[in-house]
Amino acid sequence: MSEINQLVETEETGTNMRDEIRQISDQFRARRQVRSRIMVTLCAIALGATAVPLLLLLYQLFKRGLPVVLHSAFYTQLPQTPTLIAPNATGGVSNAILGTLVLSLYASIMAIPIGVLVGVYLAESDSKLAGGLRVTAQTMAGAPSILMGLFAFSFIVRDLNIGFSALAGSFALAVLMLPVIVISSEIAVRGVPHTLREAGLALGAKPHKVSMKIVLPAAVTGIVTGIILAISRAIGETAPVLLVIGGGYINSWKPLDPVSALPLSIYENAKSEWPSLRTEVWGIALVLVVFVFVLSLSARIWASRKQQAR
Amino acid sequence: MSIVTPPPPDFSPHEEEVPEFNSGTPSRTWYHYLLIVASLVFAAVSVGFIGTIVWNSLPDFAHHTGTLLGGNGWQSPTGPFGGLAMIVGTVETSLVALIIAVVIGLGTSISIVFILPRRFRNIVATLVELLAAVPSVVYGLWGFLVLAPWMLKTVIPWLDKWPFSHELFGNPGQQDGQSLLLASIVLAVMILPTFVAISREVISVVPHDLVEASLSLGATRWQVIRGVVLPTAKIGLFGATFLALARATGETVAVALVAGGVANVQFHLLYPGTSIASWIATEFGEAQGNEISALMALGVLLMLVNFGLSLISRGLVSRQRKVLAVV
Repeated sequence: MSEINQLVETEETGTNMRDEIRQISDQFRARRQVRSRIMVTLCAIALGATAVPLLLLLYQLFKRGLPVVLHSAFYTQLPQTPTLIAPNATGGVSNAILGTLVLSLYASIMAIPIGVLVGVYLAESDSKLAGGLRVTAQTMAGAPSILMGLFAFSFIVRDLNIGFSALAGSFALAVLMLPVIVISSEIAVRGVPHTLREAGLALGAKPHKVSMKIVLPAAVTGIVTGIILAISRAIGETAPVLLVIGGGYINSWKPLDPVSALPLSIYENAKSEWPSLRTEVWGIALVLVVFVFVLSLSARIWASRKQQAR
Repeated sequence: MSIVTPPPPDFSPHEEEVPEFNSGTPSRTWYHYLLIVASLVFAAVSVGFIGTIVWNSLPDFAHHTGTLLGGNGWQSPTGPFGGLAMIVGTVETSLVALIIAVVIGLGTSISIVFILPRRFRNIVATLVELLAAVPSVVYGLWGFLVLAPWMLKTVIPWLDKWPFSHELFGNPGQQDGQSLLLASIVLAVMILPTFVAISREVISVVPHDLVEASLSLGATRWQVIRGVVLPTAKIGLFGATFLALARATGETVAVALVAGGVANVQFHLLYPGTSIASWIATEFGEAQGNEISALMALGVLLMLVNFGLSLISRGLVSRQRKVLAVV
């Protein structure tokens, strides 16, 4: 009996309490929703605050750069220093375009074979050397690029007495690209399904044959993507080449000649006093950004296509 | 890119057993030696990289350690070479840039993952990653030719109206607009895509179960973000922050273009200053003898800071992986 009484009592007081609780919770819900709406709006504003300056940058780059890059002289002529008589004679940047291509070519020749092999080694070995190299690669990948310039200067330019040259610049860029290639190759090789490897081993192939003929071809998409991204990072770097390539005003592909590069001529033209050079600099920047975008977009598209195909 | 640590080694037992099955064939072939030689070359390059810079800085550390860390003023041909101005400038610009970038970037990542309509998400994410690939010299150029005049015309007069602005920022009067504040803004815009790219990834891998569970309990969108998503992603977000900081401290040409390049200890952000990396870049061309080793010593300092930051950030991100694996 007492239990039933209790039940009745709680039911009576319960209806009162339920109303009260509902009221309070309604208040809370309103407050929570208002608060949520405010914070979500703030986040959306942050999105705008990110987008506006970055889109503005791209817009100004294209608006000011397009008129410059539409002249063929921009690609074919050597740079000229404007004079008072001809303040608009800026020539072109053929030396910088060629220089960037040459630098990234030599840097790739130096960095890609070693980088890919080290990546494969890291993925297939669990020795202490591998562990140490992995930490090294990850730390070096974030190192400030100016340090590569200091390294190339002391080692190539001064100690080996080679002088300011394309070789020194591409060495600096190769040091920059190496850890990136190592890391991406390791990830690509590790991403190859174990079943493939095991199938090869089960058929009696030796481990190194499996690694070379089965794992490496299967990982090639990821490896190439990493290489392209490393190159696209390297061609935009100014600081390392600023110290060691010498800024030559000639078209040259020889490793021992001083060369120029697109980022370097951006840096130098921007600081120039001549308005015509300051106009031209937007064109150089546009060419550089288009280079980088094409490289990283093609890497991305290629990687996703191959993934779908698999 | 560098934040993606490979998963822990997962070797199938077969791999170790197979050479035993094929007893008679040597497990070490020319291929293995090739891999090991390449690894040794890489190790040599890394050791040479660190060793060369440290070795070349030694003369400076032998004579001028005190002035490098505490001295103000850089007398170009002979010395003393004081590094305090560059150290202070680096700390100021990167911290201000970091604060701006983290506050805005966090909101941006949250909006990309939770607020944007689904079909825009991938487009915006790709766009952000493309912008992260834009060379820093382009950001510097934009800051130098577009933002500097804008600072002069709009921002500085506007800041002048506020009380205490002279005490806080200083009053540079008529200059060409290059200042530590401008360097911080350019750095912030530059590291934003990097920070957003990583933090978006960290936020988007928070398990959906958690989000849906808390939504089903009646939590509002912000309560889900504040109460579930951010705490789960906390460690990874700190990792992204440290990575952005590492990038900001190491940035060279963008700062060299917009900071003004004046070696004075300067706490008022509207005056020109410099940073370690940009000072190395601008002074190296004319440097001789002792000055080169002083610049190398600054490089060593930068290297220590950067390696420390990236170690911390990598540790945090791998801890985040473990947290998510447990969840």
